[in-house]
Amino acid sequence: MSDNTSEFSADAGDGETADPTADDMVIETDVASATSSSETTTTPDPIIRSRDLDVFYGEEQALDSIDIDIPENRVTAIIGPSGCGKSTFLRCINRMNDRIEACRVEGELSLRGKNVYDPDVDPVALRRRVGMVFQEPNPFPKSIYDNVAYGLEIQDVEGDHDEIVEQSLKRAALWDEVSHQLDSSGLELSGGQQQRLCIARAIAPDPEVLLMDEPASALDPVATSQVEDLIEELAEDYTVVIVTHNMQQAARISDKTAVFLTGGELVEFGDTDQIFENPEHDRVEDYITGKFG
Amino acid sequence: MATNNEIEGFGRVSRTAGTLFRYLLLAATLFGLVFVTILLVYVANDAIRPLTADPGWHLTFFLTLVIPTLAAGAYANRRDIAALRTGVFTIGFVVVALMFSGGAAMIFVDIVEPLTWLAFLLALAVPTAVTMAVVSYDHRVSFVAQFVVTVAAFYLSLFGVPGPLGSLAGVSTMVPSLFGFVAGLPFAPAPWLMMAMTFGPPVAYVGSRYVAGDRDRRTHVLVGAGVLAVVLAGGALAPFAGVDPVPGVVVAAVGIAPPLVYAAGTAVNRPTERVGLLVPATVVVGSLVGAVAVDVVGFAGPQSWVDWAFLTSSHSSTAAEAGFYPAIGGSILLMLTVAVLAFPVGIGAAVYLEEYAPNNRFTRIIDVNISNLAGVPSVVYGLLGLGLFVTYLNQPPGTVLLGGATLGLLILPIVIISAREAIRAVPEETRAASYGMGATKWQTVKNVVLPRSFSGILTGTILALGRAIGETAPLIMIGAPNVKYSLPAGLSEAASAMPLQVYAWSSLYAGDDFYQKAVPAGVVVLVAILLAMNSIAIVLRNKYQSTE
Amino acid sequence: MSGDSLADDLTRRTQNAPPELLSRTFFFVCAALSIATTIGLIVLLTTEAAKFFTFSAPLVGVEGETATVVEFLTGTEWQPTSGRFGVLALVTATLMVMIGSSIIALPLGVGTAIYLSEYASPRVRSILKPGLEILAGIPTVVYGFFAIIYITPMLQPFVPGLGTFNMLSACIVVGIMIIPMVASISEDAMSAVPEELRQAGYGMGATKFEVSTDIVVPSALSGIFSSFILALSRAIGETMAVTIAAGSTAQFLNPFNPATYTERALPMTAAMIKLIGGDVTGGGLAYRSVFAIGITLFVITLAMNVISDYVAQRYREEY
Repeated sequence: MSDNTSEFSADAGDGETADPTADDMVIETDVASATSSSETTTTPDPIIRSRDLDVFYGEEQALDSIDIDIPENRVTAIIGPSGCGKSTFLRCINRMNDRIEACRVEGELSLRGKNVYDPDVDPVALRRRVGMVFQEPNPFPKSIYDNVAYGLEIQDVEGDHDEIVEQSLKRAALWDEVSHQLDSSGLELSGGQQQRLCIARAIAPDPEVLLMDEPASALDPVATSQVEDLIEELAEDYTVVIVTHNMQQAARISDKTAVFLTGGELVEFGDTDQIFENPEHDRVEDYITGKFG
Repeated sequence: MATNNEIEGFGRVSRTAGTLFRYLLLAATLFGLVFVTILLVYVANDAIRPLTADPGWHLTFFLTLVIPTLAAGAYANRRDIAALRTGVFTIGFVVVALMFSGGAAMIFVDIVEPLTWLAFLLALAVPTAVTMAVVSYDHRVSFVAQFVVTVAAFYLSLFGVPGPLGSLAGVSTMVPSLFGFVAGLPFAPAPWLMMAMTFGPPVAYVGSRYVAGDRDRRTHVLVGAGVLAVVLAGGALAPFAGVDPVPGVVVAAVGIAPPLVYAAGTAVNRPTERVGLLVPATVVVGSLVGAVAVDVVGFAGPQSWVDWAFLTSSHSSTAAEAGFYPAIGGSILLMLTVAVLAFPVGIGAAVYLEEYAPNNRFTRIIDVNISNLAGVPSVVYGLLGLGLFVTYLNQPPGTVLLGGATLGLLILPIVIISAREAIRAVPEETRAASYGMGATKWQTVKNVVLPRSFSGILTGTILALGRAIGETAPLIMIGAPNVKYSLPAGLSEAASAMPLQVYAWSSLYAGDDFYQKAVPAGVVVLVAILLAMNSIAIVLRNKYQSTE
Repeated sequence: MSGDSLADDLTRRTQNAPPELLSRTFFFVCAALSIATTIGLIVLLTTEAAKFFTFSAPLVGVEGETATVVEFLTGTEWQPTSGRFGVLALVTATLMVMIGSSIIALPLGVGTAIYLSEYASPRVRSILKPGLEILAGIPTVVYGFFAIIYITPMLQPFVPGLGTFNMLSACIVVGIMIIPMVASISEDAMSAVPEELRQAGYGMGATKFEVSTDIVVPSALSGIFSSFILALSRAIGETMAVTIAAGSTAQFLNPFNPATYTERALPMTAAMIKLIGGDVTGGGLAYRSVFAIGITLFVITLAMNVISDYVAQRYREEY
């Protein structure tokens, strides 16, 4: 996998000499040393950062002035009651909300300092760097191999596709179960296997960020714990942002936790331990202790 | 006091009106079906005349065919209802496949020379291979370069240098096209071998994929070889049955091999349904035994008007000798033309409206416009074809191309509407998965939307095609000939069609003679073909609806 | 993963790549073709019909002038060979087809729809619905043949004065032909009635009969009406069955008098088929008059489609 990573960045590295643009200046200065600082565990640098992010569905406000700094190579969980806008926020990051006509986004949301809502940003190019796993397992009606290779095909990723597919399936802890039936349909797998297939599919083209929208909510407890283990492992190489309404899950797997509450506001954001043991806001405490929501 | 608070029972609300209503509704539902079924039985009786057969003939087939089939069916049903369903489906498959193989055979007997066919296929296959090589060789070749190479390869292969572009400029051919080269070869294998070469391998490939699935290579090869043997046997054995080897190969490849493959697939992959294959086996064996028996004993069969002569001869002014051959051939050619013209455009429009169209005024206009076009009477489409193509574009009236274009316009709204429904049925999560991977619109349409909606689109297009070949009025309006004595040799020749021939017989030749012989026979053939097409569509739909 | 190239990478415009442009253009052209068809249809019909009305020179086989618009629309005699072009004779025949077929198709179609949507078990539905589709798939020329060979002789003993060609059998077959259309659109409307409404009815102690007639049918009324209008427009445009069954003599009949249905008549569509018989290459009077009838037919059916759409949209219950 590390081979792929270097290959991919070499491919994308032809802009090495580009001038730092105004957008780059917005980022805090330590972003420049992002690669090295990810080793230090205390305060990793933000890879995704939003300022004053408002989202409207028609007249209705779904997100209210969100400010957040999501660290690199960590698992960030977003929790909150249903309808609090946590999925909406997730879908802002890779601009999947563009597909909803009535949806309007204001404010800034940047990936490594580049505002993804700048008019010159192509959402398709953005999504190639920000992978996504959905609530329901949604493999394509293709073979297991073609499912994983889908991103490689459409993005014209170079290299040995067989090798990348194998590595991705291994990372998704699915290889042992499917290595003998790569040609059979992805729909024939069980729900938990399908979701791991979707994760393998998402990581195959080696994105920088992996968004997960309640990835375990449709699975049984065994499959859920498999997927959770997988997410923790993935955080070694990827920035994972996961939406969940299962607080135990957030507590188990995440490094950082953001709590959204009704009205689309981000009430508290901090280290997971701190949020669950000693939240600053009473509303967050009420929510976490189950007094509402 | 206590008894006042207890009730003896709830009483009853009268259901008489409700029951009466229910049966009235059932009667209303069945009225049309029963009425038309009776009429169809009448017309089938007039056309096939089962009562003219010797009673011994009926008895023989009752003993060899009906009783064993019923017994086999009952046995299969007792073992497993799914087995019986498979058995009945196989019989239907055999009937439909044989029917279509007959149509396909007609094309290669009278319209397309086997050598031309082979040349055409080669001229398509070579540039396709070039294209695939270019696309897979290196991802860095720019799309424009790939596109140019592809177009050039097809042009060279089909037209040569400089081809029609050159003849426009008055330059004579310098390099012959692959098509012209192969078609002009002075030596060629026997025609039936060429047919076997073109039909055998694809059928064998699909057959072995279907039967052997993910089994080992040996099984694949075995099944493929078996299918090839059937196709070759069709050509080699046909002369013994008094048939030309070319139609023999086509019938074997299109009509016999697919049902055999299906039966083999059932036997290999679905052991519980294996017993159902007894039913079609009994039908085939029973018919053969019965046929031999009546021949030996000398029982006369029914003097049906739908006989070999009717299917293979052309119109005559005496009803008993009138045949349907040119009409069937005309309908087949029309069908192919309509499919080529209308399907890509209809599906393309559906994709645009479902996947691309912005929510604006222009889209709404297209939307309303399509539903209104679907309501325009077919005879008005005939006027469009007449005015546009014949009067303004100076096309000769009544040609296959003209008829195909007119009928294509007629079914376009139907194709669009049904394809849109199929595309809309693709779950949004699947699309989201593709866009979430960073796919562009075209990549999503090509890789996810179209494959997923394929069977739904196919169902709709088959039904639309059925509508097209049942239409008469537009063909009359564009001046298609009522009577045609031979198959059209090309797309720019006038052609008759089945419904048109039936109309001609029942109007121009109106009289008891034609009413009792030729017209019922024509109606039976026409309705049988349409029922076959509709049943394919319905089976297909039930299949994909149950897998969703 | 260097951040420097990111801005370049994200601003790569994928939707302007050649395959995207090419495919988008192709799909758009396909969709636009339907607009072109409509425009072509309207332009063609109006220009050709206009020529019909302005033609004043003597034509082959026809003495004197042709019709003015007023004569065409108000005349009651249709005899092209002697220059009489009163379209009313044809319109009344078409009206008869419409009335006669609707007497059969509307009650049977709605009955079918109620049965399929409210009463039939899934198994029965899975048999009946394809059956109805097959009913709709039988070519109209076959229906015409049924009318003349089987239905007319069957009716003759019961209906005095019924000739070989008559409107009665034509109406019967057209009626049967459009049952599936009424049934399927009405059934869609009834299936769209939310289950809660039915539950509410049952909760009040209503029988199935009462729920069907008092709740489902009224709620689906706009859909049922829209199916009626669409089916009638289909009946008007029906060509081959009436051409074969109704004969080829134009008569100005009273469509509201049941006795006239035993007569032969010439609906608009049949008149077009009859006229085109001898003259297709264009220019002749028959050719032009066909377009004059064609535009009349087109306008009527278009109007009915628009009305049907309007009814379905405007009066649809919001659930």
